[in-house]
Amino acid sequence: MDKLLEIHNLHARIGDKEILKGIDLTLNRGEIHAVMGPNGAGKSTLNAVLTGRPDYEVTEGTILYDGKDLLAMSPEERSWAGLFLSFQYPVEIPGVTITAFMKAAVQARRKAAGLPEMKTPEFLKLLKEKMAFVQMKPEFAKREVNVGFSGGEKKRNEIFQMAMLDPTLSILDETDSGLDVDALKIVADGVNALRSPEKSAIIITHYQKLLEYVHPDVVHVLKDGRIVHTGGHEVIEAIEKDGFDQF
Amino acid sequence: MGYGNYIDPFVALRAPQDDNGVIPSGAKESYTVGAGEKLELTFVVLPGESRDIDVAIDLVGEGAEVSLKGLYLCGGDERVNFRILMHHRAPGCVSRQLFNGIAGGMSRVTFEGRIIVAPDAQKTEAYQENHNIVLSDQAHAETMPQLEIYADDVKCSHGATVGRLDEEALFYMRTRGVPEKDAKVLQMLSFLSPVTPEDKRESVEKAVLQLV
Repeated sequence: MDKLLEIHNLHARIGDKEILKGIDLTLNRGEIHAVMGPNGAGKSTLNAVLTGRPDYEVTEGTILYDGKDLLAMSPEERSWAGLFLSFQYPVEIPGVTITAFMKAAVQARRKAAGLPEMKTPEFLKLLKEKMAFVQMKPEFAKREVNVGFSGGEKKRNEIFQMAMLDPTLSILDETDSGLDVDALKIVADGVNALRSPEKSAIIITHYQKLLEYVHPDVVHVLKDGRIVHTGGHEVIEAIEKDGFDQF
Repeated sequence: MGYGNYIDPFVALRAPQDDNGVIPSGAKESYTVGAGEKLELTFVVLPGESRDIDVAIDLVGEGAEVSLKGLYLCGGDERVNFRILMHHRAPGCVSRQLFNGIAGGMSRVTFEGRIIVAPDAQKTEAYQENHNIVLSDQAHAETMPQLEIYADDVKCSHGATVGRLDEEALFYMRTRGVPEKDAKVLQMLSFLSPVTPEDKRESVEKAVLQLV
């Protein structure tokens, strides 16, 4: 199997508080994994470390992405390498339109890959196509990023960006319980549509609901900063039935 | 156009200027706006030198309207000071002010904006906004809005802020592959956008790239 992501003995803390206490996780190309866990297990921290948030300190362990040292890469380098990390709370960027934002992102990535700039008509065609794909109304192209968006619209915008950037590995932080069924379906459709032998995803979540729409190949249970159990779909059913205490 | 400080020609025409068409630092500009007249001024100050901009506007006739916009970008050890006096002396006049600026390097910016509404100036509408972004710990911006209202039937408001670039927004953009510098430029340009005259977009962009 072709390993895409290898997390080995990952320890991380914020301030003095150690939150991740030795995580091991291996994901092969083409797989979808779910990381489930109760509140306070370290789900958000795991996502933050993968994203490259500056306030989290990795004290021990390694993360290899496609054979490269992920922790040595800046957030933008991670994106150029094909990583996409959806935010639980997407950020508003007043004054910057979705079109301007995506243009900057797409061109920067092409530049990093040594490709020439995408011509404007080609870019606009791609934008239109991907907006239609996530059923985003065309007028959103001119809206300021996430400003005045509803929760569902923000989520849709995340999945739209994911589709635009065509990542190799998507990491979706769905820790929030506040997602309604429509928003869940947007996320699920987005993930399912991008499913291919080349693409992988990790869904970090508290609730099993999303996993009814996206069927993960592997399910990990995260508890107290460690992966305490790894299995298949049966793990979701077990959690649904008896909660996290059994692990 | 170079990187020198720039004052919109519309202002320059009405104020004392030197041989190069530049208003000397410290010179006071004053305007009187009569009944039904409209005055629109835009101030654009780009990095290059220190400036004092001192403007006094009298609205003396009913229904006069004034719109001021200002954009400033300061770097190095520049000092840029705005002193704006908006004096509503007649009823039913409207004034709107929006000044957005960025201070980088070790520059210092001050904005003093004073609005006076005279007792007779009923039905006045006067609005003033001044927003500042400081790019470094050494840069300094100070904003001092002042409202003096002597009439009772008026709509007046002011908003003044001094802040940093939005780290969370920068981080979000970076995770989507926008390099840190480009993300800063995008944020700075969008901040300045409401006060950027169409024909100055290019020079403002150049100046932002220089400051970031």
